Amino acid sequence: MRKRLLVWSLRALVLVFALLLWEWAGRIPISFAFPTATATGRALIDLLRSGELPDGWRSTGHALLLGYGMALVTGVPLGLLMGLVPPLGRIARVYLEVLIVMPMAALVPLVILTMGVNIRASATIVFIFSMPFVAINAYGGMRDVDPVLIEMARAFNARWFHIVRAIVLPGALPMILAGARYGLARAFIGLVVAELLLSPFGVGHLIMDTRSTFEFDKMFATVLSMLLVAVMLLSGAQHLESRVLRWRRRGEEGGLQ
Amino acid sequence: MIVSAPMRSQVRPLGIDVRNLSKAFGLVLALDDVSFSVRPGEFVSIVGPSGCGKTTLLKIIAGLIRPDQGVVEIGGLPINGPGPERAMVFQDFALMPWATVLRNAAFGLEVRGVPRKEREELARSVLAKVGLSGFENYYPHQLSGGMQQRVGLARALAVNPQILLMDEPFASVDEQTRRILQDDLLKVWADERKTVVFVTHSMDEAIYLSDRVFVLSPRPGRLVRVLDVNLPRPRSSKETRGSVLFAKLVEDLWEVLREMQ
Amino acid sequence: MKRACRYKKILDRLPTALAIVLFAGAMEVVGRYDFSLFLPRFSTIMRTLWNLVMVGPLWEAILRSVDSFVMGVTPAAVGGILAGLVLGRYPLIAAVFDPFIGFIMSAPLPTFVPVLIVLFGVGRVVVLLTVFLFAFFIILVNTRAGVEGTRRSLVDMARSYGASEVQVLAKVYLPSALPSIATGLRLGIINGFKGLIIAEMMLGLGGLGRLLAQYANVYLISHLYAVVLTVMGMALVGAYVVQALDGLFIRWK
Repeated sequence: MRKRLLVWSLRALVLVFALLLWEWAGRIPISFAFPTATATGRALIDLLRSGELPDGWRSTGHALLLGYGMALVTGVPLGLLMGLVPPLGRIARVYLEVLIVMPMAALVPLVILTMGVNIRASATIVFIFSMPFVAINAYGGMRDVDPVLIEMARAFNARWFHIVRAIVLPGALPMILAGARYGLARAFIGLVVAELLLSPFGVGHLIMDTRSTFEFDKMFATVLSMLLVAVMLLSGAQHLESRVLRWRRRGEEGGLQ
Repeated sequence: MIVSAPMRSQVRPLGIDVRNLSKAFGLVLALDDVSFSVRPGEFVSIVGPSGCGKTTLLKIIAGLIRPDQGVVEIGGLPINGPGPERAMVFQDFALMPWATVLRNAAFGLEVRGVPRKEREELARSVLAKVGLSGFENYYPHQLSGGMQQRVGLARALAVNPQILLMDEPFASVDEQTRRILQDDLLKVWADERKTVVFVTHSMDEAIYLSDRVFVLSPRPGRLVRVLDVNLPRPRSSKETRGSVLFAKLVEDLWEVLREMQ
Repeated sequence: MKRACRYKKILDRLPTALAIVLFAGAMEVVGRYDFSLFLPRFSTIMRTLWNLVMVGPLWEAILRSVDSFVMGVTPAAVGGILAGLVLGRYPLIAAVFDPFIGFIMSAPLPTFVPVLIVLFGVGRVVVLLTVFLFAFFIILVNTRAGVEGTRRSLVDMARSYGASEVQVLAKVYLPSALPSIATGLRLGIINGFKGLIIAEMMLGLGGLGRLLAQYANVYLISHLYAVVLTVMGMALVGAYVVQALDGLFIRWK
């Protein structure tokens, strides 16, 4: 108990120290542009109240949802298919591994040239950042499935469809969910890269715009909003994931009774 | 000719005095006011059901854990952490998988700063003593469990300790290998007299090896009985295990343990 | 038996080779149909690539990018391993910094690039720092996991033989964590390269990222593809090299 108190107080200390450092750095100032922590906080409230931030997030949110949604809708079935059809899996895996290692930002100019500067292009960029990770994790999940269980089901003369539904999918679920989570993190990365490089609208535009008008406190506030949204959504996804998986495990135990 | 390490015949075993040892982990009292003495050169075993604090007791004697209360004196002097006069052998062998048998055996010497050529020579000689000549360049994963434990034993012997602390060293090997290792241990012990504190689950093993057996009760760990084992030495599987006295002692020990359940 | 083994190795590489050939072939065929300005023939791209390397700015850009990369990744590796050792060894310290590390690992790192620009101006420092950021935390987290996974009995054993804190760290924790460190380095390097491209694209000071932005701006499509392929190739080569090094480390575990 005492240890927990110590840890939390040390954490608070580190946080306070970091904030104070930020505040002090802004006041020196470390660079004429650097806003203090308090200025940033104030700007955040201003932006929220003025509606600039929510407006920016509306179009940004669209791009994110569209791109990530497409990534899930194409990535998961692709991974499943790759697992069910091994030769396809082996070949597609090569492409996916290339896409995973490759800096996707390098493709952004190409996307901009072919699609222009609009939400569709942003969503596409989010998609290409995210999909390979979703797919390869889903594929990994498929390969994780215990072959002994499949053999058992076939021994009981279960139909192929039933095997997929009752054994393969539940077995692959943990990695599919993990892939969805990684995919979301990647989607945010793609979103930020798209927004910062395209930026005629949305949060990225707000960042670049406030920078060019030297409103650095607003710029930092916008950056902060992006960080907070990303972290919150991801930790939410993490909680959801553990909740679903825990429920699954308990469900299995319940079945044994 | 090895000069810096003391000549083996000159190393005398030391006695251990444990007084009022208590140790708690959180709310669990692992050891409660445990006191006993081990005479120099004596071979004692500590037995008891799971969770009775045997390993904790051994680790306190080794200097790895600090007791909440009480002292451990070795050769009349209180201990303060690990020391060169004690060496430990572990249940899961604790061999570094990335090092060869030779390096593993020489590890205790390496830590103490013994120069490479010297410690390798020493390591080779102890490895020969435990019957592992020729395996110096093997890696642990290439050896059987019994052989791995021999390396662990060699490592302990290489630092020429006066006290050997053994934590269920043969628990992870099969029965046949276990018996062979027990006899090898007795042989080595007869050769270079050390004080041995041997923790085990097995009543058979405790009686077969020791001069005295200490019985610990579980949660909290208390010393409930000390059995004298008056079996003649040298001991052998056939004669000692076949004797009536042996069977009686094992039964006596079993009685004590059974009462605790 | 040996011949069969050799054949198997070739068969394993087949999907990769097949995939590459398929891709290049598809690009060539599609390009011939002149569907769009944006789908040039593969051969055109290769020719442009050759030109760019020989007489164009590509070679210089590659060198500059690699230079920035190495300057950013090296401190990330050293720092990440050291920090990972400390965090793995001292759970209290780790517990204190956990939420902060978790925050940064969840955060989209490109978001920090404009912040760094404000802090340090438009300079190469920002590129180096971005590479560092992208690589450091991954190396840290993996090193820490490796250290935390060290077998307790090995630590006890070393301490029982009188090893000092430094000795235990160097002789037990570090070797035990080596496979995880190798993984961390592999992932960190791959991610660091991504950071490099992103930063170079946003700063436009030099290197491959700048070329990408430049050629896109002036609609030099084949040039753009050529640079993209270069980046892809570098990423693949780097990943392959790092993978091989990884295998070396795992050998004795």
